[in-house]
Amino acid sequence: MISFLEVLQRATTGPMMSAKEYDMKVFIPAVREVVKKYKIEFDPKDPCPHDDDLADRIYQAGVELYSKVGTYCTDTERIIHFTVEEIEQAVDECPKVVYFGEGPDRIEWHGRMPDDNKLPHCHVGSGTNTTEDVALKMVEAYGRITKAKTTSIPSLTTVGTLSGSLGSPMEVLAGINMMRIAREGLRRAGRPGMAIIDLHPSCASGIGTIASSNPEFGARKSDGWIVAPHAELKINYDSLNQVAYLTSWGANIGQEAGPIMGGYAGGPEGTAVVTLAYAFHGILVVRATYHLTYPIQMLNVCSTTPEMIYVISTSSQAFARNIRAPYYALGYASAGPATKQYFYEAAAYLLAIQSSGIGIEDVHPNKAVGTNQALPIDSEFTCAFGHGNVGITRKEANSIIKKLMEKYMPNIKSAPKGRDLYQCYDLETMKPDDELLKLYDEVIKELNGYGINFK
Amino acid sequence: MDVKDIFAILTKAIVEGDSEQLVGLVKQAIDKVDPLEMVEKGMAPGMTEIGSKFGEGQVYLPELLMAAEAWEEAMKIIKPRLIETGASMKKQGTVVIGTVQTDIHEIGKNILANLLTTAGFDVHDIGCDAPATKFLNKAEEVQADIIAASAIMSTTVPYQKDIIDLLESKGLRDKYVVMVGGGVVSQDWADKIGADGYGELASDGVQVAKKLISQKKGA
Repeated sequence: MISFLEVLQRATTGPMMSAKEYDMKVFIPAVREVVKKYKIEFDPKDPCPHDDDLADRIYQAGVELYSKVGTYCTDTERIIHFTVEEIEQAVDECPKVVYFGEGPDRIEWHGRMPDDNKLPHCHVGSGTNTTEDVALKMVEAYGRITKAKTTSIPSLTTVGTLSGSLGSPMEVLAGINMMRIAREGLRRAGRPGMAIIDLHPSCASGIGTIASSNPEFGARKSDGWIVAPHAELKINYDSLNQVAYLTSWGANIGQEAGPIMGGYAGGPEGTAVVTLAYAFHGILVVRATYHLTYPIQMLNVCSTTPEMIYVISTSSQAFARNIRAPYYALGYASAGPATKQYFYEAAAYLLAIQSSGIGIEDVHPNKAVGTNQALPIDSEFTCAFGHGNVGITRKEANSIIKKLMEKYMPNIKSAPKGRDLYQCYDLETMKPDDELLKLYDEVIKELNGYGINFK
Repeated sequence: MDVKDIFAILTKAIVEGDSEQLVGLVKQAIDKVDPLEMVEKGMAPGMTEIGSKFGEGQVYLPELLMAAEAWEEAMKIIKPRLIETGASMKKQGTVVIGTVQTDIHEIGKNILANLLTTAGFDVHDIGCDAPATKFLNKAEEVQADIIAASAIMSTTVPYQKDIIDLLESKGLRDKYVVMVGGGVVSQDWADKIGADGYGELASDGVQVAKKLISQKKGA
């Protein structure tokens, strides 16, 4: 694989143009061309297709797309280009298994295949806004879910009474505080070595990452450190600074991507190809050994519509069949927490990603907007789902997803807002109230009726 | 070809984002048809149609951008004629739009800027990573009606409040309508910081802007 120094060299020598020119003259035409050339078509009747040839065409389209568009560096206004041969070599040589955590909590994460009989990697936690008073208990609750292998940790947006604004000293302090809190939470849960693979939300900037990575605060290179691009396929020096530091430290780097359907990538077909193409950006530019994706629909700002289930399932299949590295996806439900609709949407998304051959993570309620919206019961649901549906096929998943969509799609634009952590949990014991427990039991029985199992 | 046919083709060329056809027809017709009518009866309905289709999810950002690009190309020919004839287009209002300090996400902001332009607003886009003073300085320079600030991350939304704080500290809060939007922004947040308007989606922003302008002008 070409070296990171070569990537940096290309960031200062590649073709120069404005970001607008890149979007309009390079990116958009290239996406349209490969979608047409590889005959990629969305069929709303099959949101989770079981078509290996389609998955492989999306892969080929992704390789060709990335060889044409590369990654645009906004600081140097240049394209970092790679040839098809360089992309294929990088895929061959990238790690197919990654190790996270320490001691008895250390885990191996392997890639899977569509329709795989292997247990998916179960990742829990939410990097969404959480108040400082409950952050410790939230992480402790994640750690207590023994089926969970790795965790995200909350985003603290305050330091005492101050806001944790990006790029400010408060961001640095919020990142450090959250790392301290998270490690203590995992100790309290009896899993001190459990890997935190997403500190990113509290400290997205390079300086925030570097500051919070000091082992004095509980950070380890066996955690996972996420480096974000911005849409679509763009990076800046701040993110490349993170990579320069993290590769020198020897830490696990994750690439995250949130392609926007309806944005520059166009419709579901183009978004599926772009979602896949981010993997090449991740391996080559970000030097990632694991990958997180969360494509989102511009119109509904969620990821459980037929178009978005198609995007995540087909791009995941393309990744799983052809790259086979650790990969997981995060969904955004339209419905708020502690509602039946949230669990219907979450089940549909989890069915799509588990059967398509990648790892699973809690679907975030209420489009991840608001504070204290993610509940520990969401994480328990995710893990019980993962363990209960080992071996589920894409064909089976597709059939159930369509039935679930009949329940939630009529309400997707006016989804119930639900109740937040304060409203439905006892914050002393971190147990759900009776109303939520009753709703959960009912929804699990209902989902059992659709052929979804929980273990 | 009568004037109605010309308007229909102009509309179609905008909807299809066909710069070549649009510019070709504008060049042919510019000496025969009132340039203001070409804009208001030919091109503007096309922009309205593409904006509606975008809001309904029938077309996507590339189609919207291509229509906007075609519009800009045609206006390069039409604008000098409008100046010559002393005609002016009806303007909904003037907007300064940008993404707040440290935030480099632009898609939502770009979409709203395009949709506002197509809806007849005079839009001044100050880009991303824009500090509060940049919003205010531009608003003062262009005599804006609206300041629209986008923020996509939980750690960048506090900078939306900075804009309102700055306006208040300068005694200019009542001079401008302030709209906020972006991934993690909610009506609750907009209310909390004292913003005048909020749109969950970029496509909501146009209706919000029209309503707020109407209230401002009625006040």
